[in-house]
Amino acid sequence: MLALHEVQTEFRRAILTVDTDTFCALIAADGLAPEERLGVYRNNIVASLTAVLRETFPAVCRLVEEQFFAYAAHEFICRHPPECAVLAEYGGRFPDFLAASAPCRELVYLADVARLEGLMKVAANAAHADPIAAMTLGDVAAEDAQRLTLQLHPSFGFVASRWPIDRIWRANRPEAAAEATIDLAAGGVWLEVSRADANIVMRSLDCTTFAFRSAVQRGETLERATEAALVTDPAFDLCRALPALFLDGAVIAVNSAQPHAGREPRQ
Amino acid sequence: MIPKAQDARAIPAAIGIGMRTLHFDEIIATRPAIGWLEVHAENYLGGGPAPLRLDTIRQEYPLSLHGVGLSLGSAEGLADDHLRRLRTLIARTEPFLVSEHLSWSITGDAYLNDLLPLPYTEESLDIVVANVAKAQAALGRRLLVENPASYLRYRHSTIPEPDFLGELVRRSGCGLLCDVNNIFVTCGNLDLNAEAYLEALPAAAVGEIHIAGHSRVMRGSQSLVIDDHGSPVAPPVWDLYCRALKRFGLVPSLVEWDNNLPPLTQLLDEAWKAERAAPATVDCDACAA
Repeated sequence: MLALHEVQTEFRRAILTVDTDTFCALIAADGLAPEERLGVYRNNIVASLTAVLRETFPAVCRLVEEQFFAYAAHEFICRHPPECAVLAEYGGRFPDFLAASAPCRELVYLADVARLEGLMKVAANAAHADPIAAMTLGDVAAEDAQRLTLQLHPSFGFVASRWPIDRIWRANRPEAAAEATIDLAAGGVWLEVSRADANIVMRSLDCTTFAFRSAVQRGETLERATEAALVTDPAFDLCRALPALFLDGAVIAVNSAQPHAGREPRQ
Repeated sequence: MIPKAQDARAIPAAIGIGMRTLHFDEIIATRPAIGWLEVHAENYLGGGPAPLRLDTIRQEYPLSLHGVGLSLGSAEGLADDHLRRLRTLIARTEPFLVSEHLSWSITGDAYLNDLLPLPYTEESLDIVVANVAKAQAALGRRLLVENPASYLRYRHSTIPEPDFLGELVRRSGCGLLCDVNNIFVTCGNLDLNAEAYLEALPAAAVGEIHIAGHSRVMRGSQSLVIDDHGSPVAPPVWDLYCRALKRFGLVPSLVEWDNNLPPLTQLLDEAWKAERAAPATVDCDACAA
């Protein structure tokens, strides 16, 4: 007799792979093939998680054939099942999974559209947090300010793409005009996603603001974030970029970085 | 006669409905005269506007939190983070009932999104008793544990499901959520007697009843009953419900409808049908109790 932990391991294997023999041997047939009985659970799990992915990635759904989405979702679920029961947080790895799948190499923008929709999901489910005002920095000496890190509101996310994924996403909204066409050669975008009250906000940034803000969000010091922005714009001015970040309600905390911590990559 | 929403707190034995997001605005706008509302806890453990909806709804109705993801049957124990989030939600919403399932869904860091069946053995009983005790201690609440809808039986099970639940009650101090539709589904799929199942449950422990719709699918020449909560309550489940009321007295009862969600009025009609069933099947002494 298998111990409960082994039974559960075999159940998982039977749901997520084609290796069902060991588990089916544990099931009493009672007039029906064990595989049929197991199939009810497999169908419940795959169908409900596929529905979660459809809801999270509606534009991706519209961009590919129905059959392909169902196939991709099934493959993804079997390789990356949820790690916890809060399904609003499921699917974060789906964009990278799409990027690595062979059929998606023809739809070169698909994974980036998925990344955008993933950020929208994160923004929608982010915890509530109150923004703070720029005057919080008032007492900080200029040289110390360089070593500060800012904690952005958890709804803030950033995605850059070589393709116009904001227009692709809008064109694949349910209410979008059917004849919309998009020139893929129109160029790349640098997007910021956040939540204002209950509304998801998508903003197109210039590449310098994107470099600064996304570095701040990664936990870089203001000095390092400024260096990132100076790469694309030597005239970048922290004294203008910083107040704008506060005015956008993006900052919820200011932290003092440890000396030299800003020189190391942060997780 | 169903009490008005404002009066419902005084009558916890009234009929409730499962609240789904699509009905939220209409419930708030029309304040239907329903006794209480139940939500799936996991839909409110994240951030965003969802928890704010519960803040609104609990100003108007008694609230029950029904968990589907604690995985009380996991051999590897309970997830501390999930317990912590659930405790926070309970503190925020002050539900009058907190319930979960006799099932498992987590193994090896994978959450399999369904209420999966346990082999009913002494080992499983020890594990579930320990997990329920841990959950009740962490949450500071008595849990009601629901009988699952099952599609399979393990060869090495040695304890009938109602006896397993009875021992769980005795050893952990938990209560029971008796889902009469699940009894119908399990007994139909595993060739068991639903009335005998109901009789075998420890009546004093039952603190809530669920009723819901089911469907049938054919597999070869055999049919399976599927607990899909996607249709009106079927006549044999109403019969079981009346039997349950006679045996358990007037306990809070809930109509669940999760798939093919109907207009709110149709869901309320089901609740009112349950409300009418109660006085007809429970004698006055049981009502008073």
